Amino acid sequence: MAGPLKTDAIVLRSLRYGEADRILHLYTPHRGRIGAIAKGVRRTRSRFGGRLEPFRRVRLICHEGRGELLTITGVETLDAHAALGEHAATLDAAARACDAVARIFETEEPHPEVYNLLANELALLASNPALACHANALAFRLKLLVAAGLAPALSSCASCGELENIAAFSAAAGGVVCSACEAGSFPLALETYEFMTAALAQPLAQAPSCSPGALREAERAISETLEHHHHLRLRAAVAR
Amino acid sequence: MSVYAAPIQRLVSELSKLPGVGNRTAQRLAFHILRTSTEDADALAQAIHDVKQRIGLCEICCNLAEGPRCRICEDDRRDASVICVVEEPADVIALERTHEYRGRYHVLGGALSPIDGIDAEDLHIAELLRRVAVPESAVREIVLATNPTTTGEATALHIAEALHERAPQVSVTRLASGLPVGADLEYADEVTLGRAFAGRRAV
Repeated sequence: MAGPLKTDAIVLRSLRYGEADRILHLYTPHRGRIGAIAKGVRRTRSRFGGRLEPFRRVRLICHEGRGELLTITGVETLDAHAALGEHAATLDAAARACDAVARIFETEEPHPEVYNLLANELALLASNPALACHANALAFRLKLLVAAGLAPALSSCASCGELENIAAFSAAAGGVVCSACEAGSFPLALETYEFMTAALAQPLAQAPSCSPGALREAERAISETLEHHHHLRLRAAVAR
Repeated sequence: MSVYAAPIQRLVSELSKLPGVGNRTAQRLAFHILRTSTEDADALAQAIHDVKQRIGLCEICCNLAEGPRCRICEDDRRDASVICVVEEPADVIALERTHEYRGRYHVLGGALSPIDGIDAEDLHIAELLRRVAVPESAVREIVLATNPTTTGEATALHIAEALHERAPQVSVTRLASGLPVGADLEYADEVTLGRAFAGRRAV
Protein backbone atom coordinates (compact mmCIF):
# COMPACT_ATOMS: atom_id res chain seq x y z
CA MET A 1 0.00 0.00 0.00
CA ALA A 2 3.01 2.31 0.45
CA GLY A 3 3.64 4.98 -2.19
CA PRO A 4 2.22 8.26 -3.48
CA LEU A 5 -1.54 8.78 -3.62
CA LYS A 6 -3.13 11.45 -5.79
CA THR A 7 -6.69 12.31 -4.93
CA ASP A 8 -9.24 15.09 -4.83
CA ALA A 9 -10.55 15.80 -1.34
CA ILE A 10 -12.63 18.15 0.76
CA VAL A 11 -11.13 19.23 4.09
CA LEU A 12 -13.73 18.34 6.73
CA ARG A 13 -11.80 19.22 9.83
CA SER A 14 -8.38 20.44 10.85
CA LEU A 15 -6.79 19.82 14.25
CA ARG A 16 -3.62 21.40 15.60
CA TYR A 17 -0.90 18.84 16.17
CA GLY A 18 2.55 19.24 17.63
CA GLU A 19 4.62 22.37 17.11
CA ALA A 20 3.36 23.48 13.69
CA ASP A 21 1.48 20.55 12.12
CA ARG A 22 -2.17 19.83 11.53
CA ILE A 23 -4.08 16.58 11.32
CA LEU A 24 -6.77 16.75 8.66
CA HIS A 25 -9.97 14.80 8.21
CA LEU A 26 -10.59 14.59 4.48
CA TYR A 27 -13.40 13.27 2.35
CA THR A 28 -12.34 11.82 -0.99
CA PRO A 29 -14.41 10.46 -3.89
CA HIS A 30 -12.70 7.07 -4.12
CA ARG A 31 -11.19 6.47 -0.67
CA GLY A 32 -14.03 7.77 1.52
CA ARG A 33 -12.93 9.48 4.70
CA ILE A 34 -9.20 9.52 5.30
CA GLY A 35 -6.86 11.13 7.80
CA ALA A 36 -3.67 12.94 6.84
CA ILE A 37 -0.97 15.01 8.45
CA ALA A 38 0.21 18.32 7.00
CA LYS A 39 3.64 19.00 8.44
CA GLY A 40 4.64 22.58 9.19
CA VAL A 41 1.38 23.95 7.77
CA ARG A 42 0.92 26.42 10.63
CA ARG A 43 4.18 28.20 9.87
CA THR A 44 3.78 31.39 7.79
CA ARG A 45 6.39 30.09 5.36
CA SER A 46 4.64 26.76 4.77
CA ARG A 47 4.30 25.92 1.08
CA PHE A 48 0.74 24.72 1.76
CA GLY A 49 -0.31 28.23 2.90
CA GLY A 50 -4.04 28.45 3.55
CA ARG A 51 -4.91 25.72 1.06
CA LEU A 52 -5.70 23.13 3.73
CA GLU A 53 -8.25 25.06 5.76
CA PRO A 54 -11.64 23.37 6.36
CA PHE A 55 -14.18 23.47 3.48
CA ARG A 56 -11.50 23.80 0.78
CA ARG A 57 -11.78 21.39 -2.16
CA VAL A 58 -8.25 20.41 -3.11
CA ARG A 59 -6.18 18.01 -5.19
CA LEU A 60 -3.66 16.29 -2.96
CA ILE A 61 -0.50 14.32 -3.34
CA CYS A 62 0.06 12.20 -0.24
CA HIS A 63 2.68 9.75 0.85
CA GLU A 64 1.10 6.60 2.14
CA GLY A 65 3.33 4.92 4.66
CA ARG A 66 2.65 2.13 7.09
CA GLY A 67 0.93 4.38 9.63
CA GLU A 68 -2.74 5.26 9.80
CA LEU A 69 -2.23 8.85 8.62
CA LEU A 70 -1.14 9.85 5.14
CA THR A 71 1.46 12.60 4.84
CA ILE A 72 0.55 15.46 2.53
CA THR A 73 3.37 16.36 0.17
CA GLY A 74 1.56 18.55 -2.37
CA VAL A 75 -1.71 20.45 -2.65
CA GLU A 76 -3.53 22.39 -5.33
CA THR A 77 -6.76 24.33 -4.74
CA LEU A 78 -9.76 23.28 -6.80
CA ASP A 79 -12.34 25.41 -5.01
CA ALA A 80 -11.42 27.69 -2.08
CA HIS A 81 -15.01 28.64 -1.16
CA ALA A 82 -13.51 31.88 0.16
CA ALA A 83 -16.92 33.57 0.39
CA LEU A 84 -17.96 31.16 3.15
CA GLY A 85 -15.78 33.15 5.55
CA GLU A 86 -17.73 36.37 5.01
CA HIS A 87 -20.76 35.33 7.09
CA ALA A 88 -20.98 33.55 10.44
CA ALA A 89 -24.11 31.70 9.24
CA THR A 90 -22.44 30.20 6.14
CA LEU A 91 -19.38 29.16 8.16
CA ASP A 92 -21.65 27.45 10.67
CA ALA A 93 -23.74 25.74 7.97
CA ALA A 94 -20.60 24.51 6.18
CA ALA A 95 -19.18 23.18 9.46
CA ARG A 96 -22.39 21.29 10.22
CA ALA A 97 -22.51 19.83 6.69
CA CYS A 98 -18.89 18.61 6.98
CA ASP A 99 -19.54 17.24 10.46
CA ALA A 100 -22.57 15.27 9.21
CA VAL A 101 -20.52 13.73 6.39
CA ALA A 102 -17.61 12.96 8.71
CA ARG A 103 -19.81 11.16 11.20
CA ILE A 104 -22.18 9.27 8.88
CA PHE A 105 -19.43 8.21 6.46
CA GLU A 106 -16.51 7.57 8.77
CA THR A 107 -14.89 4.68 6.93
CA GLU A 108 -12.74 4.43 3.80
CA GLU A 109 -15.65 2.91 1.87
CA PRO A 110 -15.91 5.04 -1.30
CA HIS A 111 -19.05 7.14 -1.84
CA PRO A 112 -18.33 9.45 -4.78
CA GLU A 113 -21.93 10.69 -4.64
CA VAL A 114 -21.36 11.95 -1.07
CA TYR A 115 -18.22 13.77 -2.19
CA ASN A 116 -20.14 15.41 -5.04
CA LEU A 117 -23.07 16.26 -2.76
CA LEU A 118 -20.80 17.94 -0.20
CA ALA A 119 -18.87 19.81 -2.90
CA ASN A 120 -22.19 21.02 -4.29
CA GLU A 121 -23.48 22.08 -0.85
CA LEU A 122 -20.31 24.05 -0.03
CA ALA A 123 -20.36 25.77 -3.44
CA LEU A 124 -24.03 26.69 -2.97
CA LEU A 125 -23.43 28.11 0.50
CA ALA A 126 -20.46 30.14 -0.77
CA SER A 127 -22.43 31.54 -3.70
CA ASN A 128 -25.66 32.29 -1.85
CA PRO A 129 -25.51 33.00 1.91
CA ALA A 130 -29.33 32.88 2.08
CA LEU A 131 -29.07 29.10 1.68
CA ALA A 132 -27.52 28.83 5.16
CA CYS A 133 -30.96 27.97 6.51
CA HIS A 134 -32.72 25.10 8.25
CA ALA A 135 -34.51 23.86 5.10
CA ASN A 136 -31.29 23.56 3.10
CA ALA A 137 -29.47 21.81 5.98
CA LEU A 138 -32.28 19.24 6.25
CA ALA A 139 -32.47 18.69 2.49
CA PHE A 140 -28.71 17.99 2.58
CA ARG A 141 -29.10 15.52 5.44
CA LEU A 142 -31.99 13.74 3.69
CA LYS A 143 -29.77 13.23 0.65
CA LEU A 144 -27.01 11.91 2.91
CA LEU A 145 -29.51 9.37 4.28
CA VAL A 146 -30.15 8.18 0.71
CA ALA A 147 -26.40 7.76 0.12
CA ALA A 148 -26.06 5.85 3.40
CA GLY A 149 -28.86 3.46 2.37
CA LEU A 150 -31.17 4.84 5.05
CA ALA A 151 -33.62 6.76 2.87
CA PRO A 152 -36.94 6.92 4.69
CA ALA A 153 -39.83 5.19 2.85
CA LEU A 154 -42.21 8.00 1.94
CA SER A 155 -44.34 6.57 -0.86
CA SER A 156 -46.42 4.22 1.28
CA CYS A 157 -46.74 2.92 4.84
CA ALA A 158 -43.36 1.41 5.75
CA SER A 159 -45.11 -1.28 7.82
CA CYS A 160 -48.06 -2.48 5.74
CA GLY A 161 -47.67 -0.80 2.35
CA GLU A 162 -50.94 1.15 2.68
CA LEU A 163 -50.97 4.10 0.28
CA GLU A 164 -53.62 6.18 2.05
CA ASN A 165 -54.01 7.55 5.60
CA ILE A 166 -50.29 8.30 6.13
CA ALA A 167 -50.27 9.87 9.59
CA ALA A 168 -46.96 9.40 11.37
CA PHE A 169 -43.23 8.68 11.08
CA SER A 170 -41.56 5.62 12.59
CA ALA A 171 -37.77 5.28 12.50
CA ALA A 172 -38.08 1.62 13.50
CA ALA A 173 -40.39 0.93 10.55
CA GLY A 174 -38.08 2.95 8.28
CA GLY A 175 -40.40 5.72 7.13
CA VAL A 176 -43.95 7.02 7.18
CA VAL A 177 -46.69 4.81 8.60
CA CYS A 178 -50.46 4.78 8.28
CA SER A 179 -52.92 5.41 11.11
CA ALA A 180 -53.32 1.64 11.66
CA CYS A 181 -49.54 1.09 12.14
CA GLU A 182 -48.59 4.23 14.08
CA ALA A 183 -47.61 2.56 17.37
CA GLY A 184 -44.13 3.78 18.44
CA SER A 185 -44.19 6.62 15.94
CA PHE A 186 -44.74 10.39 16.14
CA PRO A 187 -47.43 12.30 14.21
CA LEU A 188 -46.24 13.80 10.94
CA ALA A 189 -47.98 16.87 9.50
CA LEU A 190 -48.86 16.84 5.80
CA GLU A 191 -46.61 19.89 5.36
CA THR A 192 -43.62 17.96 6.78
CA TYR A 193 -44.36 14.99 4.55
CA GLU A 194 -44.50 17.26 1.50
CA PHE A 195 -41.25 18.97 2.52
CA MET A 196 -39.42 15.67 2.87
CA THR A 197 -40.63 14.28 -0.47
CA ALA A 198 -39.84 17.55 -2.29
CA ALA A 199 -36.39 17.85 -0.63
CA LEU A 200 -35.51 14.32 -1.78
CA ALA A 201 -36.81 14.87 -5.30
CA GLN A 202 -35.34 18.30 -6.03
CA PRO A 203 -31.72 19.48 -6.35
CA LEU A 204 -30.17 21.11 -3.27
CA ALA A 205 -30.31 24.57 -4.85
CA GLN A 206 -34.10 24.27 -5.01
CA ALA A 207 -34.68 22.94 -1.49
CA PRO A 208 -38.32 23.70 -0.60
CA SER A 209 -39.18 25.94 2.32
CA CYS A 210 -41.87 25.37 4.93
CA SER A 211 -42.92 26.43 8.42
CA PRO A 212 -40.48 26.16 11.37
CA GLY A 213 -42.74 23.56 13.01
CA ALA A 214 -42.62 21.31 9.95
CA LEU A 215 -38.82 21.71 9.76
CA ARG A 216 -38.50 20.62 13.39
CA GLU A 217 -40.60 17.53 12.62
CA ALA A 218 -38.47 16.72 9.58
CA GLU A 219 -35.29 17.06 11.67
CA ARG A 220 -36.77 14.71 14.27
CA ALA A 221 -37.52 12.15 11.54
CA ILE A 222 -33.94 12.36 10.23
CA SER A 223 -32.39 12.23 13.71
CA GLU A 224 -34.48 9.26 14.83
CA THR A 225 -33.68 7.38 11.60
CA LEU A 226 -29.93 7.86 12.18
CA GLU A 227 -30.18 6.98 15.85
CA HIS A 228 -32.20 3.83 15.21
CA HIS A 229 -30.31 2.45 12.21
CA HIS A 230 -26.84 3.96 12.56
CA HIS A 231 -26.63 4.47 16.36
CA LEU A 232 -25.53 8.02 15.68
CA ARG A 233 -26.72 11.34 17.05
CA LEU A 234 -25.80 14.33 14.88
CA ARG A 235 -25.55 17.88 16.13
CA ALA A 236 -28.60 20.09 15.45
CA ALA A 237 -28.90 21.03 11.77
CA VAL A 238 -28.81 24.75 12.65
CA ALA A 239 -27.58 26.79 15.63
CA ARG A 240 -30.31 27.11 18.29
CA MET B 1 6.83 -5.13 34.32
CA SER B 2 9.06 -2.07 33.92
CA VAL B 3 12.85 -2.50 33.97
CA TYR B 4 13.21 0.82 35.81
CA ALA B 5 12.75 1.51 39.49
CA ALA B 6 9.28 2.85 40.28
CA PRO B 7 10.31 6.56 40.76
CA ILE B 8 12.09 6.60 37.37
CA GLN B 9 9.14 4.95 35.69
CA ARG B 10 6.83 7.52 37.27
CA LEU B 11 9.01 10.40 36.01
CA VAL B 12 9.12 8.92 32.50
CA SER B 13 5.38 8.47 32.51
CA GLU B 14 4.78 12.09 33.69
CA LEU B 15 7.23 13.55 31.15
CA SER B 16 5.67 11.61 28.30
CA LYS B 17 2.39 13.44 28.96
CA LEU B 18 4.04 16.70 27.73
CA PRO B 19 3.13 17.80 24.18
CA GLY B 20 5.57 16.51 21.55
CA VAL B 21 7.29 14.19 24.03
CA GLY B 22 7.10 10.48 23.31
CA ASN B 23 8.27 7.63 25.49
CA ARG B 24 11.84 7.63 24.17
CA THR B 25 12.30 11.40 24.63
CA ALA B 26 10.76 11.11 28.09
CA GLN B 27 13.34 8.46 29.00
CA ARG B 28 16.16 10.67 27.72
CA LEU B 29 14.88 13.64 29.75
CA ALA B 30 14.47 11.47 32.86
CA PHE B 31 18.07 10.25 32.62
CA HIS B 32 19.25 13.83 32.08
CA ILE B 33 17.42 14.88 35.25
CA LEU B 34 19.01 11.95 37.12
CA ARG B 35 22.47 13.08 35.99
CA THR B 36 22.01 16.76 36.96
CA SER B 37 22.79 18.09 40.41
CA THR B 38 20.16 17.95 43.13
CA GLU B 39 20.01 21.79 43.12
CA ASP B 40 19.18 21.89 39.39
CA ALA B 41 16.55 19.18 39.74
CA ASP B 42 15.01 20.98 42.74
CA ALA B 43 15.02 24.27 40.80
CA LEU B 44 13.10 22.60 37.95
CA ALA B 45 10.58 21.05 40.34
CA GLN B 46 10.18 24.38 42.17
CA ALA B 47 9.70 26.29 38.88
CA ILE B 48 6.93 23.89 37.84
CA HIS B 49 5.33 24.19 41.28
CA ASP B 50 5.56 28.02 41.29
CA VAL B 51 4.09 28.44 37.84
CA LYS B 52 1.07 26.37 38.85
CA GLN B 53 0.68 28.14 42.21
CA ARG B 54 1.35 31.74 41.23
CA ILE B 55 0.18 32.20 37.66
CA GLY B 56 -3.50 32.89 37.02
CA LEU B 57 -5.59 34.98 34.65
CA CYS B 58 -5.55 38.77 34.64
CA GLU B 59 -8.88 40.05 35.98
CA ILE B 60 -9.10 42.60 33.13
CA CYS B 61 -7.74 40.99 29.98
CA CYS B 62 -7.60 37.25 30.86
CA ASN B 63 -3.90 37.12 29.91
CA LEU B 64 -1.55 35.13 32.13
CA ALA B 65 -0.66 37.13 35.23
CA GLU B 66 1.19 36.83 38.50
CA GLY B 67 -1.33 38.43 40.82
CA PRO B 68 -4.69 39.94 39.92
CA ARG B 69 -3.46 41.94 36.89
CA CYS B 70 -0.95 41.34 34.12
CA ARG B 71 1.98 43.67 33.46
CA ILE B 72 0.34 45.22 30.40
CA CYS B 73 -2.89 46.10 32.24
CA GLU B 74 -0.84 47.59 35.09
CA ASP B 75 1.22 49.74 32.73
CA ASP B 76 -0.33 53.24 32.64
CA ARG B 77 1.70 54.15 29.54
CA ARG B 78 -0.29 51.71 27.41
CA ASP B 79 -3.11 53.21 25.33
CA ALA B 80 -6.37 52.21 27.03
CA SER B 81 -8.50 53.30 24.07
CA VAL B 82 -7.43 50.36 21.86
CA ILE B 83 -7.88 46.68 22.69
CA CYS B 84 -6.35 43.94 20.57
CA VAL B 85 -8.29 40.65 20.84
CA VAL B 86 -6.22 37.47 20.50
CA GLU B 87 -6.90 33.76 20.93
CA GLU B 88 -4.04 32.69 23.22
CA PRO B 89 -1.45 34.28 25.57
CA ALA B 90 1.28 33.23 23.09
CA ASP B 91 -0.31 35.60 20.53
CA VAL B 92 0.28 38.54 22.91
CA ILE B 93 4.00 37.71 22.94
CA ALA B 94 4.07 37.53 19.12
CA LEU B 95 2.38 40.94 18.81
CA GLU B 96 4.60 42.51 21.48
CA ARG B 97 7.65 41.41 19.48
CA THR B 98 6.56 43.72 16.65
CA HIS B 99 6.93 46.86 18.85
CA GLU B 100 4.19 48.35 16.64
CA TYR B 101 1.32 48.19 19.10
CA ARG B 102 1.03 50.21 22.32
CA GLY B 103 -2.58 49.45 23.25
CA ARG B 104 -4.00 46.78 25.55
CA TYR B 105 -5.08 43.19 24.95
CA HIS B 106 -7.89 40.78 25.56
CA VAL B 107 -7.18 37.05 25.50
CA LEU B 108 -10.14 34.87 24.53
CA GLY B 109 -8.64 31.53 25.56
CA GLY B 110 -9.33 29.82 22.22
CA ALA B 111 -11.58 30.13 19.18
CA LEU B 112 -15.21 29.27 18.52
CA SER B 113 -15.74 25.76 17.22
CA PRO B 114 -19.27 24.50 17.92
CA ILE B 115 -18.43 21.19 16.23
CA ASP B 116 -15.75 20.60 18.88
CA GLY B 117 -18.08 21.79 21.63
CA ILE B 118 -16.38 25.21 22.04
CA ASP B 119 -19.15 27.81 22.18
CA ALA B 120 -19.10 31.54 22.97
CA GLU B 121 -19.69 30.78 26.67
CA ASP B 122 -16.41 28.81 26.81
CA LEU B 123 -14.35 31.84 25.74
CA HIS B 124 -13.75 35.18 27.50
CA ILE B 125 -16.11 37.04 25.16
CA ALA B 126 -18.53 38.17 27.87
CA GLU B 127 -15.58 39.75 29.75
CA LEU B 128 -14.60 41.67 26.59
CA LEU B 129 -18.14 42.97 26.11
CA ARG B 130 -18.23 44.05 29.76
CA ARG B 131 -14.95 45.95 29.28
CA VAL B 132 -16.27 47.79 26.24
CA ALA B 133 -19.98 48.29 26.83
CA VAL B 134 -19.79 50.09 30.22
CA PRO B 135 -20.61 53.85 30.03
CA GLU B 136 -17.27 54.91 31.58
CA SER B 137 -15.27 52.83 29.06
CA ALA B 138 -12.43 54.69 27.31
CA VAL B 139 -12.25 52.10 24.49
CA ARG B 140 -12.53 53.56 20.99
CA GLU B 141 -11.24 50.69 18.86
CA ILE B 142 -11.20 46.91 19.02
CA VAL B 143 -8.64 45.14 16.81
CA LEU B 144 -9.66 41.55 16.10
CA ALA B 145 -6.40 39.60 15.85
CA THR B 146 -7.74 36.05 15.94
CA ASN B 147 -5.92 33.58 13.69
CA PRO B 148 -6.79 33.71 9.96
CA THR B 149 -8.18 30.17 10.17
CA THR B 150 -11.77 29.04 9.79
CA THR B 151 -12.36 29.00 13.56
CA GLY B 152 -10.52 32.32 13.99
CA GLU B 153 -12.64 33.97 11.29
CA ALA B 154 -15.84 32.60 12.82
CA THR B 155 -14.77 34.00 16.21
CA ALA B 156 -13.97 37.42 14.72
CA LEU B 157 -17.35 37.56 12.94
CA HIS B 158 -19.17 36.59 16.15
CA ILE B 159 -17.38 39.24 18.23
CA ALA B 160 -17.82 41.94 15.58
CA GLU B 161 -21.56 41.24 15.49
CA ALA B 162 -21.84 41.40 19.30
CA LEU B 163 -19.82 44.63 19.45
CA HIS B 164 -21.87 46.34 16.74
CA GLU B 165 -24.96 45.51 18.80
CA ARG B 166 -23.69 46.27 22.31
CA ALA B 167 -21.18 49.08 21.67
CA PRO B 168 -21.94 50.75 18.31
CA GLN B 169 -19.70 53.73 19.18
CA VAL B 170 -16.59 51.50 19.15
CA SER B 171 -14.81 50.98 15.86
CA VAL B 172 -14.06 47.30 15.09
CA THR B 173 -11.10 46.43 12.87
CA ARG B 174 -9.51 43.17 11.73
CA LEU B 175 -5.81 42.52 11.18
CA ALA B 176 -4.95 42.66 7.49
CA SER B 177 -4.01 39.39 5.84
CA GLY B 178 -1.71 39.02 2.90
CA LEU B 179 1.70 37.90 1.77
CA PRO B 180 4.44 37.13 4.30
CA VAL B 181 7.51 39.39 3.89
CA GLY B 182 10.27 37.56 2.05
CA ALA B 183 7.98 35.02 0.37
CA ASP B 184 7.58 34.48 -3.39
CA LEU B 185 4.27 35.51 -4.94
CA GLU B 186 4.06 32.35 -7.06
CA TYR B 187 3.88 30.15 -3.97
CA ALA B 188 1.06 32.08 -2.29
CA ASP B 189 -2.26 30.27 -2.06
CA GLU B 190 -5.32 31.66 -3.82
CA VAL B 191 -7.19 32.89 -0.75
CA THR B 192 -4.17 34.69 0.74
CA LEU B 193 -3.28 36.26 -2.60
CA GLY B 194 -6.93 37.25 -3.18
CA ARG B 195 -7.06 38.96 0.21
CA ALA B 196 -3.74 40.68 -0.36
CA PHE B 197 -5.11 42.00 -3.64
CA ALA B 198 -8.41 43.11 -2.09
CA GLY B 199 -6.52 44.90 0.70
CA ARG B 200 -4.00 46.67 -1.58
CA ARG B 201 -3.16 50.26 -0.70
CA ALA B 202 -1.94 53.35 -2.50
CA VAL B 203 1.79 54.03 -2.41
